[in-house]
Amino acid sequence: MKYIKIFLIFIIFFIIIIVSGKLVSLKYINDYPEGSFISDYYYEENNHDVIFLGDCETYTSFSPIELYKEYGITSFVRGSSRQLIGQSYYILSETLKYEKPKLVILSVGGIVNTNQIKEEYNRLILDKMKLSREKYELYKYSKMDKENFLTYLFPILRYHDRITSLNGDDIKYLFKDEVVSHNGFLINQNVKPLTVLPTKKNLSSYEINKENIKYLDKIRDLCKDNNIRLILEKSPTAYPYWYSEYDKQIKDYSIKNNLEYYNFLEMDINIDYQTDTYDSGTHLNLNGAKKITRYFGNILKDKYGLQDHHSNDKINKEYEKKIERYEREINEKNN
Amino acid sequence: MARSKIIKLLILLLSILLYFIYGNYLLIILLTSIFTYLLGNIITKNKNFFLIVITYLIVLLPFIFFKYITNITNLNLLQPLGISYYTLSLISYISDMYHNKYPKCHNLSDFLLFSMYFPCLFIGPINRYNDFYKEINKISFKKNNVYSSLLRIGIGLIKKFVIANHLMIIINTVATNLNYNGLYVLFSLFIYSIMLYNDFSGGIDIVLGISKLFNMDLIENFNHPFKSESIKEFWNRWHMSLGNFLKDYIYIPLGGNRVSKIKNKINIIITFLVSGLWHGIHYLLWGFINGILVILNIKTKNKYVNYFLVFIFISILWIFFIYNDTFLSIKMFISIFKDFNLSNFNILNLGLNIYHYLIIVLSLAIIILYENKNILKNINNLYSKIIILLLIVFMVLLFGRYGINVNTNNFIYGGF
Repeated sequence: MKYIKIFLIFIIFFIIIIVSGKLVSLKYINDYPEGSFISDYYYEENNHDVIFLGDCETYTSFSPIELYKEYGITSFVRGSSRQLIGQSYYILSETLKYEKPKLVILSVGGIVNTNQIKEEYNRLILDKMKLSREKYELYKYSKMDKENFLTYLFPILRYHDRITSLNGDDIKYLFKDEVVSHNGFLINQNVKPLTVLPTKKNLSSYEINKENIKYLDKIRDLCKDNNIRLILEKSPTAYPYWYSEYDKQIKDYSIKNNLEYYNFLEMDINIDYQTDTYDSGTHLNLNGAKKITRYFGNILKDKYGLQDHHSNDKINKEYEKKIERYEREINEKNN
Repeated sequence: MARSKIIKLLILLLSILLYFIYGNYLLIILLTSIFTYLLGNIITKNKNFFLIVITYLIVLLPFIFFKYITNITNLNLLQPLGISYYTLSLISYISDMYHNKYPKCHNLSDFLLFSMYFPCLFIGPINRYNDFYKEINKISFKKNNVYSSLLRIGIGLIKKFVIANHLMIIINTVATNLNYNGLYVLFSLFIYSIMLYNDFSGGIDIVLGISKLFNMDLIENFNHPFKSESIKEFWNRWHMSLGNFLKDYIYIPLGGNRVSKIKNKINIIITFLVSGLWHGIHYLLWGFINGILVILNIKTKNKYVNYFLVFIFISILWIFFIYNDTFLSIKMFISIFKDFNLSNFNILNLGLNIYHYLIIVLSLAIIILYENKNILKNINNLYSKIIILLLIVFMVLLFGRYGINVNTNNFIYGGF
């Protein structure tokens, strides 16, 4: 009896630690919604034709809801802020546990980044990711100094300092979660025109890191093994510069590996950096995303023969709700 | 092999391993300790002057090099962990052997445990061989010690992570912006007193708590210092292991109080200058002023007024520790009088919000309760003990300031 009582005391303590950890954790609903994009995927009811991977360029450039509205293509953006290529690999590995899409579209804008620069970027991808081998491998791949996996298991160790600055969301979302994105897409309707483009600097090296190419190979192989077509793309952004040297290396890689590569910077999509960006050309806003999604959707439908799911009641029903929520949010923000 | 011998050996091996990982320059502490052991034992029989000079030099050279020469020459070298603490312990051994104060150490592993006992290298206390020897011969694991040891470790963690690390925000905020007016500077000095006590004594609580787990009662380093009625009394209650060292190896050899009044006053000043120098070259003036205040021995008839005055004087003198530069410290001290503005004062402008202050006050209340009453210590019910310990863990985890964005995880006195 004595040991049972002691055991119960420890169980209660453990529960208190877990609940306190949930209380102080960032909820990523109204503040830093980007931290919910990876976990929004777990709420999906049906499989997808297309999975997008990559950094912020993906979740600001491709709107899965527009893609469905126009072409009936189902997709999800599993992108995250400053997602490193190795992180994309582990996110893809996790995705393949749930489904096998027809296409994986990898944004190559982030392939020039090597190490993680801020722990916060790792948090945005890992905090709400389900506990799995992929989560641990992803953590190991991009962990920074002093970062510890225990803090992902017991968030109280990382977020305890929020105890003095809790807000309404912390109570409201203590035991529940909410889908924040639109299949991983972030609606941003603000307009901040590009005025002066920062000076183009000469770099000491333009060579894409070999470690990154190794992870690109791993993504290629994973797709091949699962009979998935891998497509590389570069979204249209004015800055940071996509140097021609980078572009050449990706083009050569795609030719060598028999992959398609779309550099939307070179295509006539009619992106206007006076109206289609919310931060002077670094990311596209909703206007810009609509333009590139429609353009790319046309290619996906024609060239890769993706099916229009509008006639599928089950999928259509799910997307009708998504479209309604998507348009409501756009209208609310417009008003 | 007896169980206690195995525990002793394991603690020594663990200390060496931890020093190898965290301590920097394991070889320096090992060689200095072995030399001290060998030469110290020769000194007991052969009181050769040159031998004792050589022994002192061997022990002091690394200390002088890492503490002063690297500082003066701006050599960017890592300091061996605990060099100030083990150097003083080794010096005390040499001196005691020279004066035949107690029997020499017959066992190198016991001696290495004395000089390298890992918890003490972080923050002290400064051990004497004869005291430490008695304790290591008691080493064992006793069920009765578990609660009191863990409770003390927990209290140390609250002091360090909940109180000191939060108060450090106020000090850093004021110290890194020289535009704060005199009232803010004064407030930060009072806060520094509370912060330093919790940081230092918290560390000592952890060290003594860990030692108690092995049934070792190491010497106490604090005895309610803020209940001192004079500066002299304060220094008898604060960092007692250093105070006793300075008394036994500096003040008394100089003649102590068995000399003329003038000579006695000079001895006091010299002792405090050495104390300042031990902390670092920037603290000489701090030591000198403390010596003067001890000599002046300002006191009233009311003990509470005395407590208050001691707190004020001691707090103001910590200015040398905050600014780490003698001239800047003097400048900031003058600013207290020149630029004292009550109207702009707001404690919420110093990096902490009202909830932080509430947490600190609650934690201080727990510390005062622990240090003055036996309610927490005298609990007999097993379940209550477990609940109290878990509540402390919970309190540290939730209200502590630690983690990836916190740079104050080290103990301040670990740097001296």
